This record gives sequence, structure tokens and C-alpha cells, in this order.
Amino acid sequence: MDTAWPPASVEAIEEISEGDDRAGATAAFIGTTRNSFKGKIVTRLDYQAYSKLAIKTMSGIIRSAHEKYSDSAHKTAESPVMSIIHCAVHHRLGTVPVGEPSIVIAVSSPHRKEAFHACEYILEEVKLKAQIWKREFYEGEREEDAEWKANVS
Amino acid sequence: MSSESNITVLYFAAASTATGLTEQSIALPQNPFPLSSLASVIISQHPNKGLEKILGTSQWSVDAEMVDDPEKVLLKGGQEVAVICPVSGG
Repeated sequence: MDTAWPPASVEAIEEISEGDDRAGATAAFIGTTRNSFKGKIVTRLDYQAYSKLAIKTMSGIIRSAHEKYSDSAHKTAESPVMSIIHCAVHHRLGTVPVGEPSIVIAVSSPHRKEAFHACEYILEEVKLKAQIWKREFYEGEREEDAEWKANVS
Repeated sequence: MSSESNITVLYFAAASTATGLTEQSIALPQNPFPLSSLASVIISQHPNKGLEKILGTSQWSVDAEMVDDPEKVLLKGGQEVAVICPVSGG
């Protein structure tokens, strides 16, 4: 979890894809603060986390992704294929202005199918389970009234 | 046997905004004390702040492990209990 975001969030993606010659594919997701929600203009998002527990939860999600996508169509009896090579999840905390990234996920794999699927799986699980909260601020509304959002209500 | 019978309650998000706190040391009325009775203790210390609704939709964690069934958990002094409101990461 990062309270000080590296200037290039793509660093996380590069870190994953470089240096491991077993990888043929790197799938990545970058979530950014959108400028609107149901017709209202968003000025910023504030993120807070129970870091100790959020990190445990995200580690568990990554482990599940490894297990879930360990089967590959390319696997043969003679050569077991490890489908997911590396996963990285970065989540920014504090204020994330409009247009800036709040979450970056990167997954590398020998083949593209597992990389895409694991990346999506990790994103959906993080949104469902990680102990992270965002508060949305709208133009023309008082800061004190800004609501903490819920991904699942 | 620990003579400490306080727990540390952590507040995040809506619970933190409502109480105005990020953490609070709470004396357990009995030690051990059922987790399912903790909400009433918190609400009695923070009346009229909308906590009934917030705690009603929140889960709990004890010592950084999520609780599946609060009815089965007994709190002991020294533990860290967090109010886990519906999450919104990512």
C-alpha cells in the first residue's frame, strides 16, 4: 500500500513484466478517479485503509489467483506449466485527485488467457474484500457531507 | 492471566467520521465479553451519532482477522477490534 505514489504508476507494471523470460504476457489494470458519479461532478476521492488487514487480505487474494489459474490449456503430462508468474497490486491511500490512479494491478503469465483472467479476478476480489474505503467529494457540496462509499450495499 | 480488561477499538470510514475518532480504548464490562454485545457499549459511549445504522451494516475484525460469526466470539482484554464498514477499495 502506498501513501506516497510513485510518479509513474506504470513502474509497477514494468517491475512485473521485465526480467522474467518465462512470461509471454503481462496483463494490467489501472483504476483512476473518474470526474463524475450519477451526474454529479467529482472533485476528488479520499482513500483510507486498515493497512495491516488490507495487506493480509490482498496477499490472500493473490495466493487464490495463483491457485485458481494454475491450470493451463498448455499444460502437458510431461511439463507442468505454472500459469501465473508474478502478481503485483498497488493501492494508493489519501487524496487521489480526478484523473489520477488509485489502484494498479499487474499479472504476468506464459500465456495471455490466464494473465487477463487473473487480473480481473484480483480486481473484483479486492473491490469485494480489501479493508479499504473511499470517500467521494462533489462540486458544490459541503465536505462534511461527503459520503463513504460501499462497493456492495 | 492478564489483568488488563481494555480493548482497542479502531474506527474507519463512516464509523470514524461519526465518532470523530480513529481509535478508542474501551473497558470490557466483563472479561471475557461477547463481541455481539460490543455495539451497544460503543453506542452508549457515542449517543446520537448515527452509530446504530453504521454498526448494523458493519462487520468486525479481532486482532486483524475478520469475524464470520460474532455470536461465537468472546473478547478478552488486550485485543484490537475494528469496525469494518462495507468496503470500497479499488
